[in-house]
Amino acid sequence: MQPSLREDYLEAIEHFMIVNALPPRYNDIAAGLGKAESVVHSDMDDLVLSGDVTILPGGLIMLTGKGQQTGLSVIKKHETLQCFLSEILGMDSSSASDEACTLEHTISDETIDRLGQLIVKQDRQWQQGRGRHLRQESTLKYRVEEKNCQCPSIADCSEGENVTIHCIHGRACAKRILDLGMVPGEHISIKRKLSNGALVVQVKGCDVALSPEIASAIGVERLP
Amino acid sequence: MKIALLGNPGAGKSLIFNQLTGLGVEINRYPGTSVTLECGNVCYKKEKTELVDLPGIYSLDGSSEEETLVRTFLERGGADVIAAVLDATKLERNLYLFVQAAEFSPKMIVVINMIDEAERQGLLIDATQLSSFLGVPVILTAASEGRNIDRILPVALNEARPALVRVPYDHHIEAALKSLEKTMGTPIHTNLLALQGIGDDPILLDAAGAIAKEIELRHHMSVRQIIATNRHNFARGITASAVKKSERKKSYDLDSLLTRAFPGVPILITVLFVLLLSVFVIGSWMEAIIVESFTTSVITPFTALALPPLWDQIGFSMLIALQAGFGIAFPFIFTFYLGLSLLEDTGYMTRAAFVADRGMHRLGLHGEAIIPMVIGFGCTVPAVMSLRILKTRREQTIAAFLISMVPCSARTVVIAGIVAAFVGILWAFSIYIIVFILLILTAVMLSRITPGEQFGMIVEMSPLRRPKVHLVLAKSWLRIKEFLFIAMPLLIITSIGLGLLQFFGLTDAFQQMVGPITSYLLGLPGYAPTALLFGIFRKELAFETLAVLAGTADLGSVMTSAQLYTFAIVNVLFIPCTSTLAVLYRQVGIRITAIISIYTVFLGIIIGAVINILMK
Repeated sequence: MQPSLREDYLEAIEHFMIVNALPPRYNDIAAGLGKAESVVHSDMDDLVLSGDVTILPGGLIMLTGKGQQTGLSVIKKHETLQCFLSEILGMDSSSASDEACTLEHTISDETIDRLGQLIVKQDRQWQQGRGRHLRQESTLKYRVEEKNCQCPSIADCSEGENVTIHCIHGRACAKRILDLGMVPGEHISIKRKLSNGALVVQVKGCDVALSPEIASAIGVERLP
Repeated sequence: MKIALLGNPGAGKSLIFNQLTGLGVEINRYPGTSVTLECGNVCYKKEKTELVDLPGIYSLDGSSEEETLVRTFLERGGADVIAAVLDATKLERNLYLFVQAAEFSPKMIVVINMIDEAERQGLLIDATQLSSFLGVPVILTAASEGRNIDRILPVALNEARPALVRVPYDHHIEAALKSLEKTMGTPIHTNLLALQGIGDDPILLDAAGAIAKEIELRHHMSVRQIIATNRHNFARGITASAVKKSERKKSYDLDSLLTRAFPGVPILITVLFVLLLSVFVIGSWMEAIIVESFTTSVITPFTALALPPLWDQIGFSMLIALQAGFGIAFPFIFTFYLGLSLLEDTGYMTRAAFVADRGMHRLGLHGEAIIPMVIGFGCTVPAVMSLRILKTRREQTIAAFLISMVPCSARTVVIAGIVAAFVGILWAFSIYIIVFILLILTAVMLSRITPGEQFGMIVEMSPLRRPKVHLVLAKSWLRIKEFLFIAMPLLIITSIGLGLLQFFGLTDAFQQMVGPITSYLLGLPGYAPTALLFGIFRKELAFETLAVLAGTADLGSVMTSAQLYTFAIVNVLFIPCTSTLAVLYRQVGIRITAIISIYTVFLGIIIGAVINILMK
């Protein structure tokens, strides 16, 4: 069974329990999820095997401890997400028109094009069903950081150059880089570069030594 | 009352701590970790106040042992007052940690240290402005001169309060924090951590993870980066309003010598060579004096007591452990620590890491790994404990092998006492050369076969400064105390265990079993393996046992030069001592520890056999 399907079932069962204070039957779940009762029957057998539910005599579906925890977790997740989205929208609606007025005068055509593309892309992902894309495994967590970007890395710069950090990609361990103040938008200067590519950079008034492989994970823009 | 000092590494926390508490400090190992917390007591106006020196960190949102420890400490309200120690010359970067700590809303005060250096750099910090902005009292101090240190306690006890500042986060993050607070009922600092994937409530992490993914999709940037950027920008704003900078003429920058490949690398090699040579020479000279006086003043009177045999054995084992411990601790390790503290206080160690980065990459490591290796020349135990500065399992594994092979002070004693004394000083150096060659070969081999990822060096260069004698001494003293507290008990226990083995005749049985093999393979006399066995417990004990078993201190008269040389090299390479094994087990686990032991045993025997054949 797909993990997302399992979560859907467990959520539905837990939800029913919370609302009605008694365990659901097959037809309740089938109605709740809009599925045929026969499909629900066979899926429940799978859930019994995976230890998420037990079927009581009389066709009552009970969650096991494990199943209940997953169900609760999914419900909480959705609730939080719902809340989050309305928070964003709430904020946007109050300030959106002001912002749009300012943008109108300063934004370039290219930017408008790109924004348009971005919105379409996000909407498409949105329509693919909230349930599914939210439940992708968390291996994708650092996807954004791993994205290839076109800008030169700090390893390509030479001694004495001043640059602005554009992006940091690669490892999850980039934490220390962030803590030392190397965040997007920060100006840094390269104080020393050895022949193997090891660097000393000056950031926020401190000198920081970097190995070549770390340096190549920091994308920069050269200052004019 | 309990006051904890929080701050970045190198902000001068320890110095302030030492000045407030004096040297009567107890070192507490935090349960389950190798991070130490220093605690001390002070009396102020007849009231006892406890002071805790938290480990230096750059951020609270990390997963390293230090960061986790400090975070848990803050979460549990481990202290009544948090004194944030900030480096005046790097105020902006230091405020980044402060604003994170403020989210836990403890009562705080701010201590801006190194104000003397800031003045020299033309930085003028407006304490009143800063204080009104942060909402907590601000004290400007210069710990190295002792300036204003006396104000810390009264202010911390009477005026500390929760900070007013709150970082304005990106509106998506703010929305996420609000949603999590509403649905989960958790406080802001927990939610911020959960958004970055840190925490122990699976339901909260799940919910926060879902939102984090939404935010990342919108920003094309990880939540970590967004949060870090917000905090840094906020810190910059505070700094801009409170610090005036006047340009100063730059003085000559020594870094133009130290951090270039030339002459940086030759300087590094010279510095290390001089350090080791002086430890070798000064150490052997002082050790002879200490051992001699200890024997005449303590051991001889003890044996004259003629206690019952079992108690005599236990007491004697304890005394020789003490004798050996002090015979190594002060002459060799303390001398070494003086040099090491000197190198650290001048700021040279970070430069050494930088220029060594290239060479260390060839060994599958990176520049930062040179620090545990250098510490290993003093004593392997603290070197293994400092392994945690390396971030990946792969690096820790490789470095653990190398550190176990680096000749520590105890091995220096053996080399000096056996080879330099009876064979010749140049032969003694040849042992170092052989060990270094083996070390490099081992590293090259390991870097090919060890699985895992390599993570490079990210080191903050400490500023170059002129070291102050009393500070170097204090630091060395603190370190040697750590050695005495951790290694000494192990020394005494193993020594008593060994004494009991000998008492019940087990060592003789061992000797008869292994003796023929070693005499065939290594060409050593029959009693040598017992001495080597003792060497597992404590490296330098091999030397002393050999003298006891041979029945004379003049080893040259009973063993040939080749035998002495072989014995020394086998002992140096052969399996690290039990204290090392104990800390290795804690740091890298049982498997790696076992592999290191087996590898070094074979290495020792093989090299010994080769030398035996060559010298015949």
